[in-house]
Amino acid sequence: MKPGLITALALLLSSASVRGANSMSISEELDAEYAYVGGTGTRGGGVNVGSVDEHSADLKYVVSPQLNKDLLLRVGFEWQRFSFGVPDHAPLPSALQQASLVLGFDYQLADEWLMRVEVQPGVYSDFRDITFRDVDAPLVIGGVYLASPDLQWMLGLRVDARTQYPVLPAAGVRWKFSEEWTLDFMLPKPRLEYDVNDKLQLYLGAEIQAGTFAVGQNFGTPRGQPHLDNAIVDYLEVHVGSGCSWKIAPTVTIEAEAGLMPYRSFDFFAPDIVFRSHNAPYGQIACHARF
Amino acid sequence: MRWLAVFFTVGFCFALSVAALAADPGPVESLKGFSDFQQVDLTRLSSGDVLSERGSLMDFPNGISSQTCFFVPLSAEETTKRLQSWDPSPHGELKVFGFHALHTPCELADFQGLDLKTSQKPVRWLLDKIIASTPARSDLNLTHAEAQELAGCVQKRSDPQKVSGCMAALLLGRASAFQQKGLDGSEPYDVAGESVSPALQLRTMLREQLEIAHEFSPILKKTGLLVSETTPSLTPFYYWTLFDADYHGTITLGAIYQLAVGDHFQLVDMEYYVSGNYYTSVTLFEVWPVQVGKKSGALVWRGDFFAAPMLAFTKGTERIAYGALMLQDIKKEIHCFQDEAKARR
Repeated sequence: MKPGLITALALLLSSASVRGANSMSISEELDAEYAYVGGTGTRGGGVNVGSVDEHSADLKYVVSPQLNKDLLLRVGFEWQRFSFGVPDHAPLPSALQQASLVLGFDYQLADEWLMRVEVQPGVYSDFRDITFRDVDAPLVIGGVYLASPDLQWMLGLRVDARTQYPVLPAAGVRWKFSEEWTLDFMLPKPRLEYDVNDKLQLYLGAEIQAGTFAVGQNFGTPRGQPHLDNAIVDYLEVHVGSGCSWKIAPTVTIEAEAGLMPYRSFDFFAPDIVFRSHNAPYGQIACHARF
Repeated sequence: MRWLAVFFTVGFCFALSVAALAADPGPVESLKGFSDFQQVDLTRLSSGDVLSERGSLMDFPNGISSQTCFFVPLSAEETTKRLQSWDPSPHGELKVFGFHALHTPCELADFQGLDLKTSQKPVRWLLDKIIASTPARSDLNLTHAEAQELAGCVQKRSDPQKVSGCMAALLLGRASAFQQKGLDGSEPYDVAGESVSPALQLRTMLREQLEIAHEFSPILKKTGLLVSETTPSLTPFYYWTLFDADYHGTITLGAIYQLAVGDHFQLVDMEYYVSGNYYTSVTLFEVWPVQVGKKSGALVWRGDFFAAPMLAFTKGTERIAYGALMLQDIKKEIHCFQDEAKARR
């Protein structure tokens, strides 16, 4: 948790208690995803790891009490796991995991501006031997400009002191350009969506999955790569595919998609060793609920 | 004892004059008393600014509200007159395809302008929904009896012009019932096995806003909105309109009431029937005469209350965004009204 954020939250919450005369509303978000990526050759640092396949799962739950007309608190947790089918003694972790809290708030800054500040303090690690080095707290700050019901712009910033690129800016747009078509070009899941009807949507899109993890103190030595001991790895995975989204209830949507994973990297940036994979098929299912 | 009598008489007169002063606190103070606006700069408003606030959360899950405040460079009386019969259809950006007055009593000829034979996609959407309606299932706001009648009528006549005739007959029935019985003549919709009463929804939303309901009690009582009243004692301007609501053609039947309250005016624009997409809405206006420097004009407070099925499932940030976007549409409408008022002074 960043001290600046605590101050900001404290200021906002104190003003909320003065102005919060409305009845409190609580909303909840539950997102669950599972994906499988087929085996593909992986190499880096002069080592051919061989074919690596992957199972990944993500579960995120956030509860948002509305403190006043303009301010919603966000409190929850997220668990994410990437499991890799790597041969014994390969210089790649068999799993990378995140178990974190979600703390933040949404705030209406002005008539057309909404902002979100979210920090996720937790453990980001291969979970072999957990030390303070495995603890991280990436911060995301985002703003949305509501130009019209059909057009919204997004600006964002991801701050993570532990990663190779501590500050990453992002921009996006959501443009509903006809009754059926929407260009939802928002990271990390930019999409072109087609509404078949009120319940069924087809889409073409991409997804960027990224995270920064610490590996164990003795990760490298038994694998013949002692410089990877206690290293930090920036993980990146890109999906390009198509899928469908079905609203099974007004508050619940399920999704299924398939496509290609064109790029995946394990970037041990301190010793400057990058392992890369290319072009593997993937399939993914997801469930999103808003209560 | 005489001095005591004089003392009480003087005291009573003083109390009356204080009460009289308190009863007429001026438009800005009145506005602060019941609205969300605690800072009102008339100079800024007179230069075209529109004050706006999303309404606070409602206990009623389908409801959302907003408040706006603006200046019109016309007398309060003229502003009220124009608000009561304003036709938004010439303003393309408001996406209103038609706005028509109804006679009292209304007749089928009042709906002659309803033409569903058009290349406009939202109107074609509405046409498709009317044709697809059956007594068992409809995406429109209808009673079982209306759905049955509409399905029977459409089955016999499937071309757009004739479907328009079927819909006109349905609207005539709704409008006639309202003209005869007021809101209590507005039958609840049968929506997915539930009865949804626009009258009950309007009353529920207003009862949650005690200060506003109290401010508008003179006109609300006379329109039957605050309490069930069989015969409203004001004669409104009746209308029907066809417009694009989020790419979906929507027909509404409405009535706009006005009442002079001292030196200012109150208006109520209620939609007692909405064909689909949402259930109902009511807009309240209070119009005061004001003088800003050398400019004389009208200060208008506007409150919008809107009930829609999907709002029950729209929570958190999405609901804030929804409220913000609703305000954008309302401000667009206000700017069109102001521009017209400036042009036709």
